[in-house]
Amino acid sequence: MVASAHGARRAGRGLLLTRSATLALCAVALGVVALASLRIGSIGITTADAVDALVRYAPESYEQTVVRTLRLPRTLIGLGVGAALAVAGAALQGMTRNPLADPSILGVNSGAAFGVVTAVYLGELTHPLQFVWFAFAGGLIAAMLVYGIASAGPGGATPVKLALAGVVVSSLLSSWLTALLLLDQQTLDVVRFWLAGSLAGRDLSVFLVALPFLLLGLAGMLLLSHQINILSLGEETARSLGMHTGRVRALVTLLVVLLAGASVAVAGPIGFVGLAVPHIVRVVTGPDYRWVLAYCLVVGPLLLLSADIAGRVVARPSEVQVGIVTAMVGAPFLIALARRRRVAEL
Amino acid sequence: MARLLADTVTLAYGRDRVVVDGLSLEIPDKAVTAIIGPNGCGKSTLLRALARLLAPQRGCVVLDGEAIHRLPTREVARRLSLLPQQASAPEAITVEDLVRRGRYPHQSFFQPPSRRDQVAVERALELAGMTELRDVPVDELSGGQRQRAWIAMTLAQETPLLLLDEPTTYLDIAHQQEVLALIRWLNREEGRTVVLVVHDVNHAAQVSDCVVAMRGGQVVAQGPPDRVLSPELLERVFEVPCEVVVPSASGSPVCMPRGRALPPGNSAPAGRAALRAERLSSGYSRRPVLRDVTVSLPAGRVTAIVGPNACGKSTLLRTLARLLKPEAGIVFLDERPVWESSHREFARRLALLAQGATVPEGLLVEELVAIGRYPYQRWYRQWSERDQQAVERAMVATGVIDLRWRAVETLSGGQRQRAWLAMALAQETPVLLLDEPTTFLDIAHQVEVLDLVWELSRSEGRTVVVVLHDLNQACRYADELVVMKDGRVVAAGPPAEVVDQELVRDVFGVDSTVIPDPATGRPLVLPGRALEFELASERLGEAEPRGRAWRGA
Amino acid sequence: MVRALVSSQTERRPRLRVVRVGGVAFRVDASVLAMTGLALAALLALSAWALTLGSYRLPLAAVIAALSGSGSDEAQFIVLDLRLPRILAAVLIGPMLAMSGAIFQGLVRNPLVSPDVIGVNAGAAFVAVFWITTRHSPAALPLVAFAGAVVAASIVYLLSWRGHIAGPRLILVGIGVNAALSAATSFMVVRAEINDASRAVLWMTGSVYASTWNDVRTLALALAVLGPVGIALMWSLRVIQAGDLVARSVGMPLERVRLSLILVGCGLSAVAVSVAGPIGFVALMVPHLARMLAGPMCGSVFAFTGVLGALLLLGADMVGQHALPVGLPVGVVTAAVGAPYFLYLLYRVNARL
Repeated sequence: MVASAHGARRAGRGLLLTRSATLALCAVALGVVALASLRIGSIGITTADAVDALVRYAPESYEQTVVRTLRLPRTLIGLGVGAALAVAGAALQGMTRNPLADPSILGVNSGAAFGVVTAVYLGELTHPLQFVWFAFAGGLIAAMLVYGIASAGPGGATPVKLALAGVVVSSLLSSWLTALLLLDQQTLDVVRFWLAGSLAGRDLSVFLVALPFLLLGLAGMLLLSHQINILSLGEETARSLGMHTGRVRALVTLLVVLLAGASVAVAGPIGFVGLAVPHIVRVVTGPDYRWVLAYCLVVGPLLLLSADIAGRVVARPSEVQVGIVTAMVGAPFLIALARRRRVAEL
Repeated sequence: MARLLADTVTLAYGRDRVVVDGLSLEIPDKAVTAIIGPNGCGKSTLLRALARLLAPQRGCVVLDGEAIHRLPTREVARRLSLLPQQASAPEAITVEDLVRRGRYPHQSFFQPPSRRDQVAVERALELAGMTELRDVPVDELSGGQRQRAWIAMTLAQETPLLLLDEPTTYLDIAHQQEVLALIRWLNREEGRTVVLVVHDVNHAAQVSDCVVAMRGGQVVAQGPPDRVLSPELLERVFEVPCEVVVPSASGSPVCMPRGRALPPGNSAPAGRAALRAERLSSGYSRRPVLRDVTVSLPAGRVTAIVGPNACGKSTLLRTLARLLKPEAGIVFLDERPVWESSHREFARRLALLAQGATVPEGLLVEELVAIGRYPYQRWYRQWSERDQQAVERAMVATGVIDLRWRAVETLSGGQRQRAWLAMALAQETPVLLLDEPTTFLDIAHQVEVLDLVWELSRSEGRTVVVVLHDLNQACRYADELVVMKDGRVVAAGPPAEVVDQELVRDVFGVDSTVIPDPATGRPLVLPGRALEFELASERLGEAEPRGRAWRGA
Repeated sequence: MVRALVSSQTERRPRLRVVRVGGVAFRVDASVLAMTGLALAALLALSAWALTLGSYRLPLAAVIAALSGSGSDEAQFIVLDLRLPRILAAVLIGPMLAMSGAIFQGLVRNPLVSPDVIGVNAGAAFVAVFWITTRHSPAALPLVAFAGAVVAASIVYLLSWRGHIAGPRLILVGIGVNAALSAATSFMVVRAEINDASRAVLWMTGSVYASTWNDVRTLALALAVLGPVGIALMWSLRVIQAGDLVARSVGMPLERVRLSLILVGCGLSAVAVSVAGPIGFVALMVPHLARMLAGPMCGSVFAFTGVLGALLLLGADMVGQHALPVGLPVGVVTAAVGAPYFLYLLYRVNARL
């Protein structure tokens, strides 16, 4: 027995090593992509200029100004939003045991969008910094509505009820949103770029407002990863292992709202990252959410930034919104995944 | 006072479906308590209440002198663990990962898994015999292996109280015996209190110090097995006459329910083959299961297929029913290759009751049974007088006629199984293939189903092929026995000629005594108890490499 | 996870009647039939009321006169050429969407699924927006939208095919194809002139505003062919829901039946979308409503689903047209009207999910 246990432990350590190494590799790739994100665009910038802009900023250099005012915010936002969306999606998938769950299923995306559009329509806002709080409030209210409706009645907020309520609230809000847009072409003109989801043209100040929420959400989620592991065994088992499932569910939901609401506020509704990244990540990590979340933290921004860079390159001199590119890049991934894997019952 | 007791608890689902009414029960400490009773008597519900998963409407469950619902959940989970009946694991989770999650109640929020956790996980894997399968995803395991993976998770919780809901379901004799031995060992050597719900009375007799017999949400009797397991009491609990054999060799009583039909000691000679497979090889993508199987299943007779878990019984059945295309070999139905007939035509001649089918929500029993009429219907003629009659007959035969307007998902396991059986019967085919039709059933219903099978073959001349995991039932009811191991047929013929001690040891890996059944003269297999302590000592001897590992196919 | 809405009572006792005409025989639940009849009557009343409403108010008598051909020329024109096509379009599109939703939800055993999953809406929208933003003639729009829907659905089907169609794979592939198509669509919207973008958004909302008799004829033909086929196939769908294994062991040519169900579901929604644009919500929610009211899906409940769909869509169009200060397309109103009711049901009914 001793020998076999040894062997198994060695195998376990090997697995740990592979996973850590792959994670490190992803992190390096993320670094490279982040640098590329500083360099590539309508004007090319050398690595030296990009680094100088960060460490020895010379305002008189045009290149460095571009990096400082345009590329850097964009890259930072990509990092934050990518991580937030991927982590929120993975946590939600684990909690609801539904592989189709992503933040939009809680109504966060459509709630935030609705909040912004209403604000633009009524308050005639024009600046994204003003959007943030409305996006945030809208997302939060929508999620609370979804959760409240789903947890009414016996059995509490079961995964299916949650998803169903989420889909309905989403469709309700997006129909109202469309109505507003149809009524007022001016509003459509203000928000249509924001609605497409983009990292470009966002103010760093917007990101800084959202940053505390992002950090809080990411840290909380990573701390809760073991809890999510247990939840993914199912309600009954989790309870017999001594978990307050209701409390943990509520906490995870709150963190998802924080993450998704903040990222929608900053970059507009970017779909697909929250849905696809966890699936892609799970191929490497298996179902252990401590690994899944850690990987999502790196792979999410990796995908988002790569998509953003691709969007700058393909349609020069103008560019394609990142929300569009993520979908175009991620979709074939998801399809290949669905075809390759032995898909279990949903 | 006992550590765990139920004080006049009333348990109900929803507002009006009372399952357990004013029940009081004291679980003796450091003993193995087995709860037995017919399907739907509330035994699993009681167990869930004991594990704090279900709040009683009245009364309370007391753990260590405190109402269990006032204790923190984590505290409860450190003292008491539950093996649920049908748990579903997340996709692609490995056995070790699953077992590790059983340590949850012992881990605090910020603390990384400790050395103690690691030791507990290793030990749990070892005890449940899953060490070698630790890196295999749970969803790739066979039913028996999966059950043991969940048992290992429960063991990793390291609680003094263990509640097990049907731990022996899905297992073959060898694994059943090992699980029972493990339960014994946990109790004797580690002093754990074990409560298990079992539907096989013989398992209760073998393993328990105290048997609780339930009926209709009430405790009918509680006491040591030799007192509770008397023919009179069993008949009162299960409403089926039972014989209790006390073999001198092993000491624990063996109960055999006696059905209406009592097949004669000598099985009738087999005539022509209704279903015949020649040099069949079959399996799932990249995983061959059957290898070169040639069997002949006689018409108008009951043939039982037996063998350990994952030996290819179900695969054989599916290949015979042409749900699986063989890689090599031919299956003949009435001397015609099965792949030659049309879907519909084939379904009128052969019906299969598959295992573990999902139930669509809200489907009524009658509607489920009516599905069996599909091969006789057309899109423009969806119902006929004959359909109605066949459905009625099938429901009467399986005793679900009173449940016809109930939704299938609200039925107990046994009732559900009978509803599925009724569906296969409604298909009115001369050949009937049944994949473990007695799983989930209590002994009365098992006997009822097997009686029915026997009568169908005798009075209507139907050919029945049935996969059974209970060797004794197979011996009692089958005219022919097909014994399989590792995807091959090792023996076939009348039970009396096939079954002996050597076969049981070779095929199932269990020492046993085979005696003639006092009622029929057919063989009766009494699994040996000698195995248990040998096993326990083997587990304890850490220095030696494991002699025998559980290895699934 | 697929345990959709089941009413709280454990015992539902259908009053089953066998309807037999020659060799044709169906078994139906009389109470569902009664409910369907009631809903039909309501639909008729609502349609009649809708004919009287508008900026030019007509009393019911004038409407009836116009319908029978004896009204004034003006009333004749308003009723027959303006109002009737629009009402009929709503009454025909509602059932088509709802029925196709019921088919797909049953087929993949997931209550969150609607025809969108197989790419019908996204395909139609992609092609239509391309058509609009490149300023092609609007007359051919329905035709190209239909082509887009069918092509997208075929792509999803073929990509999901691996020896057989598995529900979960279909959903995942569908989501992928949908995402790619909608991304491309929104790319075109962002790139377009603001006027074209506005028209594209309007089309993507879905409306029955400009329906013509031609549209009505197309819709009626499609519904008349595909609706009954769908009802007939419901029997098989119920068997499929009991599991692939069961379906095959009772002798069902599973892939063939599955393909015909997909064809019917896809055909119904593709025609509806090509005429009216992707009207959301109906396909997703009406089957749930019907099941909550009438029990699990079967032929008669399927028909009931259709009538409910017609009621919802007509009601929504009336609200959008008359109840609000500005006319709104029906696609906006279906969700705005239907969703709260659905949420209320979810909240009230002891849904065991």
